[in-house]
Amino acid sequence: MSRSGRFAAWWPGGGADPGEGHEPDPRFTFANERTFLAWSRTALALVIAGLGIVQLLPPFPRVPIGRHLLGVPLIVLGAVLAIVAYGEWVRNQRALRRGDPLPRSVMPWILAATVAGIAVISAIVLLISALR
Amino acid sequence: MTDPEPSDPKPSDTAASETEEGDVGRALERTSLSWTRTALAFAALGGVVLKQNVITGLIILAVVPLIWRLGRLPRSASTLGGLPTVGGTRIRVITASIVGVALLSLLIAVLGPSVPGALHR
Repeated sequence: MSRSGRFAAWWPGGGADPGEGHEPDPRFTFANERTFLAWSRTALALVIAGLGIVQLLPPFPRVPIGRHLLGVPLIVLGAVLAIVAYGEWVRNQRALRRGDPLPRSVMPWILAATVAGIAVISAIVLLISALR
Repeated sequence: MTDPEPSDPKPSDTAASETEEGDVGRALERTSLSWTRTALAFAALGGVVLKQNVITGLIILAVVPLIWRLGRLPRSASTLGGLPTVGGTRIRVITASIVGVALLSLLIAVLGPSVPGALHR
């Protein structure tokens, strides 16, 4: 799919034209909606975690921006997950209507990669703050 | 005019009868509960933000009834061929809400006053 095609698929209504294909089994539609909602809650949890780290944790010794290094990426990841979840919902809904195989999701990869990256940053920040 | 074949119902007829008769697999109920959990997640975030920034917290909390209500909109019309359109509106509202909340949280995180060590008290 071209870049413009991908963008059009993500645009409101672009990938889920009611006139396209046929109405899928409502159970599949509901399942797709629940999957989107589950990712949305994950995104909200990341925002809460990021905000909590920045606002509530005590500052790390020797690393004054340590809390922001950990918290801000989590908040940004929350926003990114919400947007990508919407794109996934559109793609899945379109595949259901056309009877195509469901596309592979990139969201687990995004989540795993970012969480792993933040874990590495956490370890570095903790090590630096422990070296007094 | 002949009656439609009972063994070959249209998808929209099937959707309507499932919604009315049995909610097969409790899909509708589980989806409704999922919307409720999402509204609760918004409420939790609003509660956290409320401690840091009252106005922003209240804005987020004001979204909670909207989210909860979105999950309870009647679906009888939406299952008759228009589900992606109606459902898409709900999905877009949630997406826009989360992105807006994340941006507000980012502003609070970067610019807002922190309460260091609040978790230790």
